[in-house]
Amino acid sequence: MAVRKKNRSKPATEIVSVPDVEEVDAIEEVREAFEAPMLPVRAEPGPTFAGWVARRGLLAAIIFGVLLAPQFVDNVRENMISFALVYVVIGLSINILIGYAGQISLGHQAFVGVGAFTSAYIVSNSHLSFWIGLALAGLTGAGAALLLGLVALRLRGLYLALITLAYGFVAQNSIFNIPALTGGGAGAEAPRPAGFTGNMAFVYLCFIILAVLMYVDWRLVRSKVGRAIFAIRENELAAASFGINVTAYKLIAFVISGVFAGIGGSLFAHRSTVVVSADFNFALALTFVLMVVVGGLGSRVGVFIGSAFFALFPLIFNRFSKYTGLIGALLLLLTLTTFPGGIAQQIAPILRWFGGAPLRGHGKSQVIQSGGAGVRP
Amino acid sequence: MSVLEVRNLGIRFGGLQALAEVDIDVREWEIVGLIGPNGAGKTTFFNCVMGVYKPTTGTVQYRDEQVVGRPTHERVRLGIGRTFQNIGLVKVLPVMENMLIAQHAKARYGVLSGLLGLRASLEQEKVLKDNALEILDFMGLVDYRNAVVASLPYGLQKLTEIAAVLASDPEFLLLDEPTSGMSPEEAHAFGDLLLKLRTELNLTVLMIEHHVPLVVRVCDYVYCLNFGRLLAEGRPEEIRRHPEVVAAYLGEEHATA
Repeated sequence: MAVRKKNRSKPATEIVSVPDVEEVDAIEEVREAFEAPMLPVRAEPGPTFAGWVARRGLLAAIIFGVLLAPQFVDNVRENMISFALVYVVIGLSINILIGYAGQISLGHQAFVGVGAFTSAYIVSNSHLSFWIGLALAGLTGAGAALLLGLVALRLRGLYLALITLAYGFVAQNSIFNIPALTGGGAGAEAPRPAGFTGNMAFVYLCFIILAVLMYVDWRLVRSKVGRAIFAIRENELAAASFGINVTAYKLIAFVISGVFAGIGGSLFAHRSTVVVSADFNFALALTFVLMVVVGGLGSRVGVFIGSAFFALFPLIFNRFSKYTGLIGALLLLLTLTTFPGGIAQQIAPILRWFGGAPLRGHGKSQVIQSGGAGVRP
Repeated sequence: MSVLEVRNLGIRFGGLQALAEVDIDVREWEIVGLIGPNGAGKTTFFNCVMGVYKPTTGTVQYRDEQVVGRPTHERVRLGIGRTFQNIGLVKVLPVMENMLIAQHAKARYGVLSGLLGLRASLEQEKVLKDNALEILDFMGLVDYRNAVVASLPYGLQKLTEIAAVLASDPEFLLLDEPTSGMSPEEAHAFGDLLLKLRTELNLTVLMIEHHVPLVVRVCDYVYCLNFGRLLAEGRPEEIRRHPEVVAAYLGEEHATA
């Protein structure tokens, strides 16, 4: 034992005197003692005024470009854009569960479907407004996710993955086929809300809702809620030692993810105005997971790009749409072997540049990978 | 008055009696050492105190409250802070984020308020951030606030963990081998830091420690565990000469030291 050896070589007299605390500047001493292996802290000058103008200007141009895109495309493409936005909402939902909380979900289409059918039922059977349908879709999505969360408290890893898989299958094949609730195989009608019936208007409805959810996601990460969820993902024991109620916050992660998924489901249903159980198959669940992993777990920008790509690719290149699965698999392999942080990690230098850093390559030790928050811009 | 009063604590994992008949007292403002060879049950004892394990027998009283059966996060809210042997921080996050995580129990706003970014939550976040900066400054770590914990040298990670625990305003600290991986010089400096913290922050400390010079220098009282049982207790100088402790822990040569 190392301690014993060290001790042997030291005379006993050296270890008995207790210093007068008041006279020793302990902090200074600690600093000195630890200074030797310290890394130099690199203080970088911020960008110049012109640099900030360039950054802010380019960022604004990109955002306006995306927001104005529906103005410059035809009616069919407008519908594609809203489809992509719905996928981004769902991507955010999955990101909360897999990226932030470190839980797996291979049955996420169940939450989306529950939201879709709830919203459709509220609007076409109960004849209530779309907004009530949207809110209740969030609630039922949360309920469905909470159920799975209770399972996740007891199971981990592969077993949890299998349960989520089964959950998705049961939802698709049994629950979504109850004729009274979902119209059975014929599906349920989900008319668009007044004022948003046109494709263009619906795109902007999606933009608005996505913006709200992005805001919530941003606050989540910057509040004690998100921090508690990260801490639990990395080290449950340490999280509890910081006063975090591990059980409660695990469930909260599932519930928030469920709310997002339910809202995504509602938009999904009303975008296509009819929703059938066959929409919510396992291939969809797999796509959801793929788009978030390829986009970059834990990164909003990455999730946006990844989700939009996986939504649009089969629509734009519909001649190759049957290869979507293959391309997804290849991208996944590429991601896992080269940039585990996904697209977000690949474009990290650009994201850092927008944040005020000089434009530089990836560097060696800047990103420490854990498949999560480490890649957040 | 005892801060921590443990009586007849025992825990059994299947066929292994990990702890048995352990009585430990920590009084106000004391720094108490818990020593013992590897596998003696020291960390298991901490886990029983913190509620990670439920003891098979015995009681754990923190000040006026019986805490056996209460979950860990509630015990923390009573004012107990704990560090881990292998660093209980979220290493993939920056130092500052960890300082904020550590103050979770102090953040007085609801989950919804946080998600919607209501003013109460934003104001609280600012208070937490200011407090974190103050402690980082006190610990001499303020330059590293944006560094990812895993990128720091081990000794600094250890200090960061202490800073994080201090940020949660504990009255009683459980330190699990705070100087493991430190050089003798660093361990010496750490001892001064601990004495300083006790004076300035009115802390009571129970620490698992292998570094004998440190134990002798800073501890007021020492308990020695061996095979899950208390082997000896007493003032550090007594324990250092206690023949059984020396035989079990320090090695035969020290029996005559």
